[in-house]
Amino acid sequence: MVLSELACVVRSKNAGPTLLTIDVLFADEATFARGSVALTAEAVAERYGHAVENIQVIAVPAARAVKIVLPRAVPAGTPGDRDVYGAQQHALLLELAV
Amino acid sequence: MSAFARLAARWPGPDAPLRVLAASGQLGLGIPQMAFQAGVARKPHVIAADMGSIDPGPVYLGSGKMAASPSMARRDLALVLRAARELDVPLLIGSAGTAGGASHLATVESLLRSVAAELGLNFCLATIGADVPQSMVQAAEKEGRLTPIGPMEPDIDCSVAIVGQMGQWAFAKALDSGADVILAGRACDTAPFAVVPVLLGYPKGPSVHMAKILECTSLCCDPGGRDAMMATLKGDGFTLESMNPARAATPMSVAAHALYEQADPTRVFEPEGHVDLSEATYQAVDARRVHVQGAVWHDAASPSVKIEGARFLGHRVVMMAGIADPGFIAASDDILSGVRDAVADLIPSEPDAPWQLFFRRYGIDGVLDWPTPPVTPPREVFILGECVAPDTETARAVAAAARQQLLHWGFPGRLCTGGNLAIPVTPPELDAGPAYAFSLYHILQLDTWEALDALFPVTLHDI
Repeated sequence: MVLSELACVVRSKNAGPTLLTIDVLFADEATFARGSVALTAEAVAERYGHAVENIQVIAVPAARAVKIVLPRAVPAGTPGDRDVYGAQQHALLLELAV
Repeated sequence: MSAFARLAARWPGPDAPLRVLAASGQLGLGIPQMAFQAGVARKPHVIAADMGSIDPGPVYLGSGKMAASPSMARRDLALVLRAARELDVPLLIGSAGTAGGASHLATVESLLRSVAAELGLNFCLATIGADVPQSMVQAAEKEGRLTPIGPMEPDIDCSVAIVGQMGQWAFAKALDSGADVILAGRACDTAPFAVVPVLLGYPKGPSVHMAKILECTSLCCDPGGRDAMMATLKGDGFTLESMNPARAATPMSVAAHALYEQADPTRVFEPEGHVDLSEATYQAVDARRVHVQGAVWHDAASPSVKIEGARFLGHRVVMMAGIADPGFIAASDDILSGVRDAVADLIPSEPDAPWQLFFRRYGIDGVLDWPTPPVTPPREVFILGECVAPDTETARAVAAAARQQLLHWGFPGRLCTGGNLAIPVTPPELDAGPAYAFSLYHILQLDTWEALDALFPVTLHDI
């Protein structure tokens, strides 16, 4: 199974112009537990081609959510930036095996 | 006596229900009217709206222009101003004109004055500036009081505009000075929503938590949307309800929204301190209302302000083209690099004033660098060329040269010798205007609380 089949929301957005935050939300405790195990900093780093020390993965049980924070390649809106709002950067995670 | 002074004089205390109506998280982009009027009919004690964001990029801060169209901004201002004056309640608007700099504030002030004249309304308006002098940032950098938020080298000297996000301090000062309506430059999203509850004695933790959720209006609902949202504060908690009956605030939708756009899921930092959400609880009141409590406020020892700066880069021209030829699509890596070299031969980049050319291939890697190529190559690919050069003429010349090279580029096995591109519009090069980049996104630490008075000056106007 892949993440897009397990999670009920996978969204990305700028957290200011220098950081990107990806929230993965789950419908129940079982899927949250399974998703939390798969969403490691190592797995995210590999998908996004980042060094693992640049990736933060934070589980938020109250929202059955996993939050991921990573630096943007360039600040939002810099020439060459491909996603000013950072709203389509979640797609690399959708096929992550869970 | 101002609308706020009358409210404060009759207010029994934080055990009374206080209704805060969030009109919009993006005033100027079209407030949905039906939900807003439903909120007004519930007789809120405060109406607040956010009008700006750093999300649309550095161009608005740098150029002094609004993202919203003036006619839509005028419509939204008329809606909230008429309602606030009819109810005789404070109206607070943060981050005027997208970026909240001096020219944005002046543009929105002038729209507000024209709306007031048309509606025949008289009131006391406070405007609050948010421009940060370059010298103050330079001094802070020398003294080690400037901290980056994420990876960005500060470029203070080249910044053409710098703003700071004001917190509740400046809004409170404007309310105490007799303002009925506050139009603020760049502000924390939360400040216009939280300040009145805090001044009336509601605890700061829940007040700021309420503001953090409310500033996006009904985005915290299921399904999310842009309709007006009401928060009712009472004691140490608050209840949220969308003014559109089709949108439900559920414990999950609200808890999840508290994470939105935040790098830190449990703490929200403001100039005056931070709110800790780790003990917050979300309970359903009914199918579409949620009661929230448990956020804890921590005062800062000294104030700190998030600052944003933009620097001018040059002029941007974009070119657009579609491709359906499978041979070109398969060879596009080599073709684009060949085209780039050919353009550089034609228009040498000056070492002290270089131009930049970027290609995005939609269908291949226009949005993301995929770890593996697709199983089947795309049938069509869209190419967007972006050129930024010191002047418009060079940017146009580079983009046009790139288009012409792409159109007639020869490659092994080429069948489409009539031309490689489907040009969607003519001219295929479009002038996108001046280009900017962020030059500052930092925390500026201040020594004294009084420094906030100088940084965010309040000016009163009799309208």
